Amino acid sequence: MRKFWSWGAIIIGALYFLLPLIGTLEFSLRMRRGEYSLDAYRSVLADPNFRATFGYSVGMALATIVLGVLIVVPTAYWVRLRLPRLRPVIEFITLLPLVIPAIVVVFGYIRLYNTSSILPLTGTASGTNLLLLCGYATLALPYMYRAVDTGLSTLDVRTLTEAAQSLGAGWVRIIGNLILPNVLGAVMSGAFLSFAIVIGEFTMAALLNRPAFGPYMQLLGANRAYEPAALAVIAFAATWGCMGLMQLISRIAGVRKTAK
Amino acid sequence: MSFLVLDHLQKSFGTTKVVHDFNLHIEKGEFISFLGPSGCGKTTVLRMVAGFESPSEGRIVIDGQDVTGLRPNQRQIGMVFQAYALFPNLTVAENVGFGLKVAGVPRSERSGRVTEMLELIGLPDLGQRYPWQLSGGQQQRVALARALAPRPRVLLLDEPLSALDAKIRVSLRNQIREIQRQLGITTIFVTHDQEEALSISDRIVVMHRGVADQTGTPRQIYNQPATDFVAGFVGTLNRFESEVLDAASGRVRVAGTEFSLNRPLQSGKVTLAARPEGLTLADHGIAAEVVGAEFLGSVQRVRARVDGSEIVLDRFNAPSVALPEAGEIIHISPEGSNWLVLATDA
Amino acid sequence: MSRFGWNWLGVVPFFAFAALFLMLPTMNIVIGAFQNPEGHFTLANLAGLSSPRIVSSFAISIKISLASAILGCLIGFAIAAAVVMGGLPGWVRGPLMTFSGVASNFAGVPLAFAFIATLGRVGLVTMLLRQWFGINIYAMGFNLLSFWGLTLTYLFFQIPLMILIITPALEGLKREWREAAEVLGASTGQYWRMVALPILFPSLLGTFALLFANSFGAVATAYALTGSSLSIVPIMLFAQIRGDVLQDPHLGYAMAFGMIVITGLANLAYVIMRSRAERWMR
Repeated sequence: MRKFWSWGAIIIGALYFLLPLIGTLEFSLRMRRGEYSLDAYRSVLADPNFRATFGYSVGMALATIVLGVLIVVPTAYWVRLRLPRLRPVIEFITLLPLVIPAIVVVFGYIRLYNTSSILPLTGTASGTNLLLLCGYATLALPYMYRAVDTGLSTLDVRTLTEAAQSLGAGWVRIIGNLILPNVLGAVMSGAFLSFAIVIGEFTMAALLNRPAFGPYMQLLGANRAYEPAALAVIAFAATWGCMGLMQLISRIAGVRKTAK
Repeated sequence: MSFLVLDHLQKSFGTTKVVHDFNLHIEKGEFISFLGPSGCGKTTVLRMVAGFESPSEGRIVIDGQDVTGLRPNQRQIGMVFQAYALFPNLTVAENVGFGLKVAGVPRSERSGRVTEMLELIGLPDLGQRYPWQLSGGQQQRVALARALAPRPRVLLLDEPLSALDAKIRVSLRNQIREIQRQLGITTIFVTHDQEEALSISDRIVVMHRGVADQTGTPRQIYNQPATDFVAGFVGTLNRFESEVLDAASGRVRVAGTEFSLNRPLQSGKVTLAARPEGLTLADHGIAAEVVGAEFLGSVQRVRARVDGSEIVLDRFNAPSVALPEAGEIIHISPEGSNWLVLATDA
Repeated sequence: MSRFGWNWLGVVPFFAFAALFLMLPTMNIVIGAFQNPEGHFTLANLAGLSSPRIVSSFAISIKISLASAILGCLIGFAIAAAVVMGGLPGWVRGPLMTFSGVASNFAGVPLAFAFIATLGRVGLVTMLLRQWFGINIYAMGFNLLSFWGLTLTYLFFQIPLMILIITPALEGLKREWREAAEVLGASTGQYWRMVALPILFPSLLGTFALLFANSFGAVATAYALTGSSLSIVPIMLFAQIRGDVLQDPHLGYAMAFGMIVITGLANLAYVIMRSRAERWMR
């Protein structure tokens, strides 16, 4: 009886989740009247705007990962090593982006960094890019911090550090050559999550007026019928790829750790 | 009819049979231990009594009532688990009162019983604490009180001491036994620790590969092990390969020394065995070369080699008895020693 | 003491970043909500929120967020429970968790496209229902660009998020707890009511607050799905920031402030309940 209900829950769940995916796939193939074709995909891939915006967002995502790692890894490490009392505070701050809607944050950026402010980041394209990058790093902060902190919790940070110090290593070397490689698996899973978030992000990019993939998709959706479905399939595949790689890497890292 | 009857119990998981034809009659108020290595089926039998596993064959009767088909919550059984299975979200008092609450006992009556149980386990002041604020030993005492509070017909203890450290283990097992006597509750205690089983049980069931090898009082189990496995698992045992010279009178030869056991044996070869404290030294007898000796206070433990295999013998310490030195030759008295003849496992 | 003083330096970059790109912008909005264009203190902006259009947009936003959070919690819990304790074969878990990881991140514009392609006027399911069963869901009053349409769409990332968070919590329920409760005479219902649910309560509530905030602040999905035809708060704010549709920039701050207050309240409820549960947690 329990099994019956369990299978029931799973099957209904599977239907709900699979139907939109099948629907999208089917729709994306319907561009040519009366037969299935890949025309929608061809049309999307041939669009120079697609390439430009996708390239922009990939670049943004990679930059976000780098910035996220630079901010999160030293902080999480330092807090564990020297300021354990500060941990709840840091944790609270890193969770804030889940509570404060992104649209509010970006609204604040527009207000705070407009052309008439002390730090007129929105005045230039590169300034706005920088602002968007920081916004993305903020969005990714909860995921990145969580991942890295979990990774650090499996290490004996203090002993590792003291051992390295006794051998004469400096801080940069300790973090770069000792801590980072040891939490690489965790950093990677945080990185893929960040990538998945940034690649299709819409709100911040649209409001800061940057030529990112998210606003491009929205614009395409408003004007075309079949291409958006093809885009959705591509986006889903990309998300799936990110998550798959993330799991693979954390599994490899896990195996390596248990093998030690 | 006995109070608790386990009648031809069998249990298979898939194609592996973990309990073969298990029979046991337990009297009211008896304290029974299931002793055996891990994987011997002792926990499975206990879980069948509790109702968590249903037997593939056989039945379980408590106080004349066949409970084989009843769910655990219909059996009126108390159980203490190995890990601390206290509910972490409830206080000590709420944990102890849980069984009464689900049975619909009114609050006033419940709190009286809870107080009574907390006094019984010697923790009258900790009612308002949460489990994480207690030590391991305290948690297990609370678990015992929780199991006993609804006045169960049978108490099941599933290795309740194995997660505790040695000192607490001894004091808690004595406390468990005392409470059990006081309440006169029929109890099954599962353990892999022979010392535990020997010290607190009325009877012990030694289990091995899903079979009860021997059931008996601790003294019977220790002094007259019925099988080679029981002999080897309970206590330390020295083995001597011997040649039977005369089967009728029990005359044997061990390491060149001939002596008679005064009981009939089968002819050929038999394995004789003796506990370390069952061997006596004399001026003549089986020659052994001392390998080393340890002074343990009240006892001297001597390790020696007979015919290439090492044996251990214990003797009481006395100021006049010196520790033997390594290399020294000592003699084991055949007549003065307590010999067991091991049944050879086929 | 001086050592401790120097230790602070290590977290300065983090706090500087958080201040510049998270705290100050948010504070700026909050302060702006209480200022008139001349920079003086006023409550007029907040009073402006009481216009029927804004009130109704908050109402529908809260309704959608509540519905998608409650349904997401219930359905996600049911699926997680089925996998963890429903006697299903072990291989179900891995793919489910991977899929949940993907689906919980499959939000925004593409998700809207997927639902248009499925439940839109010419979507696959809409068409199949009409062809196979003669059911025209649009004639029956269904509309993807409505409360239920949006809720249904949001569930696509809400349910997996719940599964991801609650599965480990369910696995943390020890077998001994259920067995101890059972042997003490408790029914399955009593075990859940008195032991399992209280233990899970903090995680359940936390996830609920997260799901609520998650859908309350979601812009992209709704915008791509409905354009600006459905006036939920984030869409109105989006339009306001882009083109000042309210003809009063400071009303925008007030709306943003209102959003913070509501997601903040949801999380405050969680924090309070959690601290109550903390008595028995280590």
